Amino acid sequence: MNLKAILAILLCRLLRGVSRVLHRGGTAMPGRWALKLCPDLLARLSKEVRTVAVTGTNGKTTSSRILEQAFAEAGRDTLANRSGANLIDGITTEFVMNSTLLGKPRKAWAIIECDEAAAVKVFPQLKPELVVVTNLFRDQLDRYGEVTHTLENIRRALASVPEATMCLNADCSLCSSLALSLPNRAVWFGLEQGAVPSRAKAELSDAPHCIRCKAEYEYDYISYGHLGGFRCPKCGYRRHAADYAVTDVIEQRPDGTSAALSIRGERQLAEINLPALYNVYNAVGALAAAMETGVGAAEAIRALGEFKCGFGRMEQFRLGSVGAKMMLVKNPAGCNQVLDFLENVKERFVLVLCLNDRAADGTDVSWIWDAEFERLNAIAGRIEKVFVSGDRALDMRVRVKYAGIPDGAICVERDYETLLSALEKQDREVYLMPTYTAMLELREVMIRHCGGAEFWE
Amino acid sequence: MELKICHLYPDVLNLYGDGGNILCMKRRLLWRGLGAEIVKMPIGSTGTLSGFDLVFIGGGQDFEQQVLLEDLHRGRDREILAAIGDGVVFLTICGGYQLTGHYYETYDGQRCDFIGALDLKTIGGKKRMIGNYKFECTPEAGGSVVVGFENHSGRTYLGPSLAPLGRVLAGCGNNGEDGTEGAHFKNVFGTYSHGPLLPKNPAFCDLLLAAALERKYGRAELAPLDDAAELAAHDEMCGRI
Repeated sequence: MNLKAILAILLCRLLRGVSRVLHRGGTAMPGRWALKLCPDLLARLSKEVRTVAVTGTNGKTTSSRILEQAFAEAGRDTLANRSGANLIDGITTEFVMNSTLLGKPRKAWAIIECDEAAAVKVFPQLKPELVVVTNLFRDQLDRYGEVTHTLENIRRALASVPEATMCLNADCSLCSSLALSLPNRAVWFGLEQGAVPSRAKAELSDAPHCIRCKAEYEYDYISYGHLGGFRCPKCGYRRHAADYAVTDVIEQRPDGTSAALSIRGERQLAEINLPALYNVYNAVGALAAAMETGVGAAEAIRALGEFKCGFGRMEQFRLGSVGAKMMLVKNPAGCNQVLDFLENVKERFVLVLCLNDRAADGTDVSWIWDAEFERLNAIAGRIEKVFVSGDRALDMRVRVKYAGIPDGAICVERDYETLLSALEKQDREVYLMPTYTAMLELREVMIRHCGGAEFWE
Repeated sequence: MELKICHLYPDVLNLYGDGGNILCMKRRLLWRGLGAEIVKMPIGSTGTLSGFDLVFIGGGQDFEQQVLLEDLHRGRDREILAAIGDGVVFLTICGGYQLTGHYYETYDGQRCDFIGALDLKTIGGKKRMIGNYKFECTPEAGGSVVVGFENHSGRTYLGPSLAPLGRVLAGCGNNGEDGTEGAHFKNVFGTYSHGPLLPKNPAFCDLLLAAALERKYGRAELAPLDDAAELAAHDEMCGRI
């Protein structure tokens, strides 16, 4: 380490200490200043750390938590950017906090969740040995542009680390196309035909046309969105066989999923700690990544049933006498999956929709019209009450009204304290669907109400 | 009374919650006891445009533009021209709005020919015009204040005889230079207000429905609706920008 790097480490630690004393999360800012002082600091600190990176539109955080659990089961000493600060500055902070003042790493392994657009900057320094690409969906078009741009970003990022193994979602035609043009070794995960009943072709697919020749894809089956057994009738581009496959989703419960897996041809049963189909994808993707880095099948499978995600991802709270589940929604694909989950809830419940439009949420809230809130109609009889909240509560109210819920049944409550007090008076399970910044604020208020960990811990 | 509404190219021009506009028109017809038949006409569809009272064309991604142009130039362009001449109501947004014009010229000079139904052209710009914005419709287009979100790098310029849809109150509009937003020609209403334009602008939605009913039945009977939720959302955003 040269002097500049050491100064950068000192500065980063100092800023981090100050921001924690001031009770600000402060995960990104210290790294930002450290990188200004020493632009290749992340490369220096991560050089001797074996790193797995997780990128893609949805499921980065959950996949990372499963991986972390798998590494823990395997007895590996691991650092991770748990707070969700997934740009280069936050990732750098994490490495600084896990190294000595002279820049020696204190952990042998790292699991790094990385923003899709930031990967181009992060990967050349981080040099991950394995990269999981969870999936690609339309997301925050105001920030990322169209989904093919995001794909291009990830391609460029991976091109900078040709030694890295790519762990790709075989069911996602966009992710899969990375293997068409990159020399990196690829391993594949996905859901086999028959694992879940095939869905009808989505009315709104994020990838209806072949990425290679633009002909319309045909599908042998669809698990959700554009994920499934795709093939192009014109150029022959098609789903790659999955090395790590879910062959049967045996049971989906409100608190978890039982599934049969085929791990490089060997049949295994797994209990997944989270409900909803998108988490089955997260589980099998993380399992694949863990095993590819040498974690044994037994440890990896145990991790699926043991990991804790929290942080707004199916996170469970207690509000007065009722339980509350927080389910982060960021884009149509993820939102539809949460609506899917709600369709399977048997008991009556209270629904809270929290829509913000800050930079981290996407400043354009049009996407709520792409999400299928119409599905609420079919379960309207089980919805006790709908609350809308957040900066754009009134837009959400209009969305729900046009979905078919009578406006009189929709309650606007902007103040989170008042909202929580109202929720505590309910005697039904509460399901909250906040966007990212709404989730951060809501969580803080909820933790104050019922106790829990702060996010940078 | 009922309206037959065509959603043209919903498979590729569906970028920003565009379906919300169709849903909004449908609901507002049904709430008034009027009929609504929605027909989706994706790429490759052999159906004809004739017989529709209202056609919606949304915005799309660059990736699919080539597929779209091929389909358009297989005869759909002539059908659109005929329908416009026939007074069919069109709502066109962003990419759909641009393609009613003469052409799109990219920043590096490549030209992409469109259908030339409206006397307008679009030039690709370096800077993206992006964000919440609002504009006041011309008196001929109802005069209401529309609040929306724009996200385009193309700068659209209207020919001398083509009327804009409105005047920009905040944001960029057609090109960020001349204060115009959108275009209004016969019963064609083109705008950059992408995605769910209509739900939060019920007066504008009703203007389109009334125009289509009037063309079809010679009269438009639109009973008032309780728009408290819509107007609250509209007014709040109007105040914010």
